[in-house]
Amino acid sequence: MSEPTSAPQTADAADAEDGRVPVTVLTGFLGSGKTTLVNRILTEQHGLRIAVIENEFGEVGIDDALVLDAEEEIFEMNNGCICCTVRGDLIRILGALMRKRDRFDHILIETTGLADPAPVAQTFFMDDEIAAQLRLDAIVTLVDAAHLLQHLDEVKPEGVENEAVEQIAFADRVVLNKTDLVRQETIDEVVSRIRAVNALVEIIPAQHAEIDLRRVLDVGAFDLDRVLKDDPAFLTETEHQHDATVTSVGIDVPGELDEDRLNGWLGNLLRTKGADIFRSKGIVAIAGESRQYVFQGVHMLLDGEFGRDWREDETRRNRLVFIGRNLDREALERAFADCLTTAGTTAGTAA
Amino acid sequence: MSGITSADLDTAWDVAVDDAPVALSAQGDLVAVAGAEGTVWVLDIATGATTRALDLPGGLLDVALAPDARHLAATGPFGYALWRRDDGLTTVSQTGAWSSRAIWADEGRVAIASGRRALVLDPDGGELWSTETAASTVTDVAWMRNGRRLAVAAYGAVCCYERHSRTPVVTYPYVGSHLALAISSTGRWICSGNQDASIHIWRTRDGSELTMSGYPEKVSRLAFDDTGTWLAADGAPDVTVWDFSGKGPAGTAPRSLSAHETITALTWRPGSAGHLASGGEDGTIALWHATSGLPQARLSPARTLDGGGAVTALAWAGPDLLIAAHRDGRVRAHRLPQRTRL
Repeated sequence: MSEPTSAPQTADAADAEDGRVPVTVLTGFLGSGKTTLVNRILTEQHGLRIAVIENEFGEVGIDDALVLDAEEEIFEMNNGCICCTVRGDLIRILGALMRKRDRFDHILIETTGLADPAPVAQTFFMDDEIAAQLRLDAIVTLVDAAHLLQHLDEVKPEGVENEAVEQIAFADRVVLNKTDLVRQETIDEVVSRIRAVNALVEIIPAQHAEIDLRRVLDVGAFDLDRVLKDDPAFLTETEHQHDATVTSVGIDVPGELDEDRLNGWLGNLLRTKGADIFRSKGIVAIAGESRQYVFQGVHMLLDGEFGRDWREDETRRNRLVFIGRNLDREALERAFADCLTTAGTTAGTAA
Repeated sequence: MSGITSADLDTAWDVAVDDAPVALSAQGDLVAVAGAEGTVWVLDIATGATTRALDLPGGLLDVALAPDARHLAATGPFGYALWRRDDGLTTVSQTGAWSSRAIWADEGRVAIASGRRALVLDPDGGELWSTETAASTVTDVAWMRNGRRLAVAAYGAVCCYERHSRTPVVTYPYVGSHLALAISSTGRWICSGNQDASIHIWRTRDGSELTMSGYPEKVSRLAFDDTGTWLAADGAPDVTVWDFSGKGPAGTAPRSLSAHETITALTWRPGSAGHLASGGEDGTIALWHATSGLPQARLSPARTLDGGGAVTALAWAGPDLLIAAHRDGRVRAHRLPQRTRL
């Protein structure tokens, strides 16, 4: 995996039992309730043996849990590619965890409030030792309903990313915490702003970080079949658009794709625009292939494999979503349509 | 696969410890086995019997016996410990800092990676000197110039220190994270295995650099043989062996040693015969005439041993005894026929 900017090539992972240990990444600003949630996860009776990697030093062992401290160490690579930026501290700590005889059932990584989620996510793509044994299950972002709008609207100096926007963009789940402290109108506004950035994300309202842990632990958020089947309408919905620079572009087009053209387009797109594309996900139909091709990416890194068979009665279609900065919906739709086998004869049409 | 593929080497002993071993050290009449959860078992090299066990709370990452086997240093995610054989005294330093490596300069001094610094301690734990803070947690340390100079690898550079100076006497910068350090016994070459799937090489004489890139995975194991002319590395299913004789490996191709899917241990047999032992995730141990054939040759093992669980560490106790630790807790001593043969 983790071949930068390459599309369909890792086949045959279809229904193989994934024995890798799931990892949840918990992001969110200071005061959003991360510590409360971590404590819930550590103390609630869920029967899981959990290792927690957090930023405050705490050599705490609660029952079957192990808590390790991590001071953020960002490693860039010699080639200067931003997608190759990884978290050295996590590589080190996860490596040591994997050398233990007794496996943990789950690993939880809590980042600092201002942490960039990209190097955390990229670590799971870039490091083969980790990728072979651990599976990034979900990026869960906690937000404070009362303060999110303020964080999202905070104007940053040129070239500096708004961390709140980034954390929403990367999220597979957003826990909208402290809903008891705001009025319904505010909640509606906050939800709409979250959707404007990340159209597909599942939003879980909560008070005092009280949520059903099954909605954030081992949820298979990277299981795209589930993510993308939820509500395909979200893929092309535009009414949520706010004047934000970070948005989602969904594509839902029936038909089959020419593999070479898809490779060429996706490779080129991520190579040239990867710095601006935070997340990409898709389930597509490749011409002549009986199985779905499922991919997901973080910036320029793409991990794809063939998934389940297309069913007899199922329409072969292509569902993709890009979450990023300054995305050009029309250009993406047009370029994608050119990858359809029918391109040139009849133009692909958006559903 | 050619060569002898049976476990017909004498097994000197075969014991089990109650943990997954992560590191081994053999010196004199002792073998130390570090378990991931924090116990060091000190074994008698002749029988494998446990003579002593000590604990470092929070787990272990490395263990090193002093050359005279009178002291031992053990390191882990939360600190380090020193053990004195004479009276069994164990001194635990729970620094809270990640200690990935311990390496003895001689029987009187040990270098310990401790968070973003390296410490040089006397055998009872007294601090002789320490380095300044590196850009990241120290990943590896190695002695040079007969123990007068200490090379410290971390993110962005390999820095060399000597006792008289708190700042580096030489810095070898490189944008990237160094995971493993190997320095030739000739002192001519410093090599780092890197997170970016490369080996970076400096010639110490003039600081000139060379990068061996194109490895499919990060290079986290790297070792020079006793002569300082052969470097073995992981980073691919095949072990690569580079020839550092003459002007070095620039423009040359390595030999590839093909036996494992995933390499989990590498260690040269003491001596100058070019014999290497490697271990794999599948539990196989392979023994190699690693320097035979031509550059670019793909070699098969001279012998393989099936050990069971994944190999986690290998160590030579002299040229005739190879100690192997497996994730399932088995520790075996394999006796080799004679020093010129595998």
